[in-house]
Amino acid sequence: MYENRKYRSIAAFIILVVCALFFFILNVCIGSVRIALPDIVETLAGRQDDETLTRILWDIRLPRAAAVLILGGALALAGYLLQTFFNNPIAGPFVLGISSGAKMVVALLMVFLMGRLVRVTSADMILGAFAGAILSMGFVLLMSRRVNSMSMLVVSGVMIGYICSAVTELVVTFADDADIVNLHNWSRGSFSGMTWENVKVMTLVVAVTCIAVFLMSKPLGAYQMGDAYAQNVGVNLRLLRVCIVIFSSILSACIVAFAGPISFVGIAVPHLVKKLLNSAEPIRMIPACFLGGSAFCLFCDLLARTMLAPTELSISTVTAIFGAPVVLWIITKRRVNHV
Amino acid sequence: MCKQDEDMTNYYFTAKEMCVGYDDKPLIREMEIALPKGEILSLIGPNGAGKSTVLKSIAGQLKLIGGTVSLGENVLSEMKSGELAKKMSVVFTEKIRAEMKSCRDVVATGRYPYTGWFGILSKEDERIIDEVMELTHITELGAQDFNRISDGQKQRVMLARAICQEPEIVILDEPTSYLDIKYKLEFLSILQEMREQKGLTVIMSLHELELARIVSDKILCLKGEFAERFGTPEEIFESDFIERLFDIREEEFGENEKLIKYIRQIGRI
Repeated sequence: MYENRKYRSIAAFIILVVCALFFFILNVCIGSVRIALPDIVETLAGRQDDETLTRILWDIRLPRAAAVLILGGALALAGYLLQTFFNNPIAGPFVLGISSGAKMVVALLMVFLMGRLVRVTSADMILGAFAGAILSMGFVLLMSRRVNSMSMLVVSGVMIGYICSAVTELVVTFADDADIVNLHNWSRGSFSGMTWENVKVMTLVVAVTCIAVFLMSKPLGAYQMGDAYAQNVGVNLRLLRVCIVIFSSILSACIVAFAGPISFVGIAVPHLVKKLLNSAEPIRMIPACFLGGSAFCLFCDLLARTMLAPTELSISTVTAIFGAPVVLWIITKRRVNHV
Repeated sequence: MCKQDEDMTNYYFTAKEMCVGYDDKPLIREMEIALPKGEILSLIGPNGAGKSTVLKSIAGQLKLIGGTVSLGENVLSEMKSGELAKKMSVVFTEKIRAEMKSCRDVVATGRYPYTGWFGILSKEDERIIDEVMELTHITELGAQDFNRISDGQKQRVMLARAICQEPEIVILDEPTSYLDIKYKLEFLSILQEMREQKGLTVIMSLHELELARIVSDKILCLKGEFAERFGTPEEIFESDFIERLFDIREEEFGENEKLIKYIRQIGRI
């Protein structure tokens, strides 16, 4: 069952990279204006004279696809970290209310700053989202001390999410400024309107966090065995827990700040990837989750943009269609295996 | 080699005025344990006497309410976690969570304190894993999924994991509870083998008094607020002490005597 794991891992990584690349290219090609692959190469090489094409490619398609790639990966990784942390297969930034908490604080911040005609920078958004994510995470942690059952923890997370969403709705509804229209779209989750400036900031934040998470793969692996055994082999549990909370919150915050809350990717992707790898080792799972999240989100964003074009669907609509069945599958499978 | 004196420094494991319990509420107080290197100490006592609590405290997983535990010269609470991991390993009643792990993978986790930053196993690590699996007779379980084997097999794999950590002392909580008699004996003979070959010190709780009696060098009886008695099996099992400890009548204990005879006949230990 586990003999050929090395080859399986290599095969899995090739599949993931190919998928991510494939959907990235499709995302760049397909849209209201179709761009053929040779044209893209020409444009990137700077030999394209068509100004419109160049603008569409450079200002809209490429930054958006890059953002989906980065944020999708971050989202799946955040989900994986939270599942590991709570030893709960259906934990994720969305179901635990962490995305909603981040969304609430960002919404409050935006309305407050816009009301004073102050420009909101990417950094402000991330910091606001991080504060909100930590706030929600704090509540979830408090709840996790009081409820032992995994499902009840998720229910409390969902409740926290509802409260935060309600507050956000309230704020958005009452502040009917022209800018708030954007806020409304964002609060439902969307990758639209990405700029290279955004991409730069998110790349920096996500790259640093992902590298830090990858460096933690050994203690994370030990942590999966359970507290007693992790401690026995010399893991500093308290430090590791703090790191997981902070890193998963940074990743969740970064996604919310740029694309709003996105459901199900954080739960579905780590599970699909785990099946693909046939291993739960963090050293394989961390990079694989990132690639899987990128591919999955690129695929979903493609559908969100094109299915009912020119109307754009919210990204969560699409991710839910593909992600929710995975969650149901996980739940039913666990019953059978009495885990 | 320096000449060994008959004083305190000869003891490998010592607990002084150890007081254990949860949330600052002492359960057992003023425990004194002193164990030379390479001896086996068994904890016996009725259910709820606090055997697991004592073992968790000794392993440093539960904060001591009072007193100290030392390994050789080192006080446990002052040791670095990585340093302690190379000296002490545990097998608790709580099972290892192993998602998509083969039994060999589980055994390999014992190498954690010795591997580098990313935990990649070296050739030497692989060799030790194979050796330990052979020693513990679980080589044939190697490729199987840890979550799909029986509880008894899990206990054997968890012992292998603990040995793989190359400890000087191993702490085991009810390690034989799911094993049938053949494997109980095999399990304990592995511990004895490790003691003879590598000078492994063992502290464990045992359900089976008969086994405790024949396998242990020292026995600690727990009941009530203070450790009831600490001594060699001969001292503990003389007279009617055991009957009082477990509130049982002599004829009931007599049943267990039959088992001892059986074990002696097999002659494994």
